[in-house]
Amino acid sequence: MSAIYDLIRYAQLKHRAFTEIVEDLDDTKFHFSAKDNLCADGFQARAGSAVLDGYRPPFDATPIRKMKDSGGQLVGKTTMDEFGFGTFSTNSAHGVPLNPFDLERSCGGSSGGAGAAACLIPGHIALGVSTGGSISGPASFCGVVGLTPTYGRVSRYGLIDYGNSLDKVGLLSRSSSLVAKHFRTISGPDPKDPTSCAQPVLADRGKMPRSLAVPKEALQNLDPAVRSSFQDALSRFKELGTEVHEVSMPSLRFALPAYYILATSEASTNLARYCGMRFGRREEELNQHFNDFFTGVRSESFGDEAKRRILLGTFCRMVGFRSRYYLKSLAVRQLLIEEYQKVFRDHDAVVTPTMPFIAPRFEEIGRMKTLEMYGADVLTVPPNLTGMPHISVPCAYVKGLPVGMQLVADHWKELDLLEAASAWEKAFIYRFPEVSP
Amino acid sequence: MKIGLEMHFQLPTRSKLFCSCPTSSAEPNHNVCPVCLGYPGSRPSLNRKALEAGLGIARFLDCKIEEKVWFNRKTYFYPDLPKNFQITQYESPLGTNGHFDLNGRRIGIWRVHLEEDPGRIRRVGRSGEEIAFVDYNRSGIPLVEIVTAPDLTSPEEAREFIDQLVTELRSLCGLEAQDEQSFRVDANISLGEERVEVKNVQGLRNLERALKFEASRQSKLLAAGKKVVRETRRFDEERKVTSSAREKETEEDYGYIGEPDLGEFRIGEMARNLDLKETPLVRARRLVSSFGIGEATAKQLVLTSVTLTDLFEELCRHVPPEKAVSWTTGPISSNWAVLQDPGKWPEIVQIVKDDSDGRINDNEAKRRILSLAGVQQEAAVEGGDDMTKLISDFVDSHPEVLADYRKNPKAANMVIGHVMKESKGRYSSKEVVEEVRKEMDKRV
Repeated sequence: MSAIYDLIRYAQLKHRAFTEIVEDLDDTKFHFSAKDNLCADGFQARAGSAVLDGYRPPFDATPIRKMKDSGGQLVGKTTMDEFGFGTFSTNSAHGVPLNPFDLERSCGGSSGGAGAAACLIPGHIALGVSTGGSISGPASFCGVVGLTPTYGRVSRYGLIDYGNSLDKVGLLSRSSSLVAKHFRTISGPDPKDPTSCAQPVLADRGKMPRSLAVPKEALQNLDPAVRSSFQDALSRFKELGTEVHEVSMPSLRFALPAYYILATSEASTNLARYCGMRFGRREEELNQHFNDFFTGVRSESFGDEAKRRILLGTFCRMVGFRSRYYLKSLAVRQLLIEEYQKVFRDHDAVVTPTMPFIAPRFEEIGRMKTLEMYGADVLTVPPNLTGMPHISVPCAYVKGLPVGMQLVADHWKELDLLEAASAWEKAFIYRFPEVSP
Repeated sequence: MKIGLEMHFQLPTRSKLFCSCPTSSAEPNHNVCPVCLGYPGSRPSLNRKALEAGLGIARFLDCKIEEKVWFNRKTYFYPDLPKNFQITQYESPLGTNGHFDLNGRRIGIWRVHLEEDPGRIRRVGRSGEEIAFVDYNRSGIPLVEIVTAPDLTSPEEAREFIDQLVTELRSLCGLEAQDEQSFRVDANISLGEERVEVKNVQGLRNLERALKFEASRQSKLLAAGKKVVRETRRFDEERKVTSSAREKETEEDYGYIGEPDLGEFRIGEMARNLDLKETPLVRARRLVSSFGIGEATAKQLVLTSVTLTDLFEELCRHVPPEKAVSWTTGPISSNWAVLQDPGKWPEIVQIVKDDSDGRINDNEAKRRILSLAGVQQEAAVEGGDDMTKLISDFVDSHPEVLADYRKNPKAANMVIGHVMKESKGRYSSKEVVEEVRKEMDKRV
């Protein structure tokens, strides 16, 4: 068991996967980690932000409580982009996680630490959170399985909000069987999160998808190596007896702007509460007007990306812009749901690469413009915007680095995705880096 | 003069709007939890009782109620607001386009919606060295906001409107009596073109004062040929004046978005199935039309007590309404503390019925009502003896009448006439006749 603890420490020290870890492992329990935006008794919950430094929540998030109730030990909190704002986990106040395959490269984001932990520690299950692709992205770059359930499948009680209508708690691990097992553990209605109470009961098992749809719009602007390895993966799927058809989903191109408008609109209201009054960091002089005090705390503690998204979201909510941006984006979300459901009349899942490229080097990320970074989410945003379940599995290795493939199913059909992932694992062997702590 | 009101009432629920914290009073910051303190990761779930109460009010005010509603986040920064946004209803209120009848005049109701109350700030210490304490017990208390059209025409009318509305709502959904300080209202008032908003006035008395001050300020400005500036003003309770709040002239931009944690609520069915109680003033209007009694009397009845009015309606099934009025507003209401016991009602009904049928006279009926109420009335008791004494005194001093009576029973009429005259109508003729016959027969 101490070998596992050594791996956890290694993941923390060498790859900065964890912000905090336990001092001792309980050998009688299974071990799981949680992204730092999930509240847990006994740990700080800082969601990658300095504004929450020192904040110890007085309660467990529902998914964490359920994991503990089923015999799990929370071994640590994983690093992330501040409040989930990022694609590479570089917007973190508590260390940027480093890719398990190459320390010079990103783990993806925003659940980057979760991706690294899932990859580095065999048998480990990591709770991640996705708003616009924060589980699929790290799963792809770190070469693990990442399941993002349907919106409303897993209670968000105790999840520090980014965009409440988009946030989903999910799982990352080396194998789909572990993901499938604990997906059952954390699912189910919770009166403390009314949006989790409309879900249908989980079936005993899913149906293997027979027909996969590949939207041709999703194959534009891909790294050529990713594109060709994705085509190879499709051939392999056909060998498994699955049909693959090209379809057209013209509304996909509206997903990215609609997502960033909705997500930042909600985020800018969620972040209003961080003002140094009731929790978190407070270094400002108290003897001043509350407005100056709040501004001081917020200016000092929020990172650049958080400030950018607050400004963006506040702008989109303003009188005069609200109907042009916020309300229109709500309509786009509905349009896109309908477009997916039209495809699901003839097909069981939509499949694309997960990310348009393999894990980039930090120096490449440093040269990216903000819009290029947002553009990296182009394939993960659509299912997130529509609240549809999706899973990312490794489907190839390019220059020794994993390439991810993402399958999307209709609402509540997570089990079908897990069937597909399980079948895929029998045909394609995943690789993990050799580590010697 | 045009006055419109935005009123906030606390709904009578046991727990808060979005969490299970109690709404009862407590030490500062004792009725709090992660939800009403806005801790990261906490989220709201709607109190069904509050929704029902709010819908009841919307229906009572005859509002249009949509099939589905949702909540909104109203974002602004203030230390008493834990999340720095308030969960309220913006584009989707519980009800719109209703009305309230104020003394026969229709006052438009623009909207009825639910929202959460912020915390409370207490400032202590000398000015300049003040310390502000925040008590979050009030955070998350359910409020209903009712917005009227600018249909009120005077400060007095505005006050009477709220007074009547509160009376109705108290009976409708058990709204607590709003004490002077807990009651908050914003008022719009315009004498000319531009309207002025007087914000956050505490209590009815202050509202009337603030409106009177504003009415006279605006009329002086207009009389002097000056313009009224469209602005927000505050009422200074000490000096009893309003003063400019010096806020931005344009409306503050709250950047409303939907509250994604609560989703949509299908309320049509719930609203239709609510069983609305008949409120006092509505009942008064019905009493006027069904029983033909005066409006003032009807109001007096319903405002005295619901059960007294119940008894009145019961009496009306047996006796003419004017009889029922005089008894319920008279001896019955003055002894209501005891007579409200429904166990006593059949007897009360019988007494009033006997009185109405002339089987007993008013005095006897009153005596019986009072004795039922446990009141020993000396006069009433003496009065009872009085008649026998009157009869025997007269018969004893006029033996010829008794002699006549033996031959002709009509001779008793002399005695009856005497007693009626002497007792000045304290007894009904039927009673006197019976008593006189009884006394004479004894002697014959």
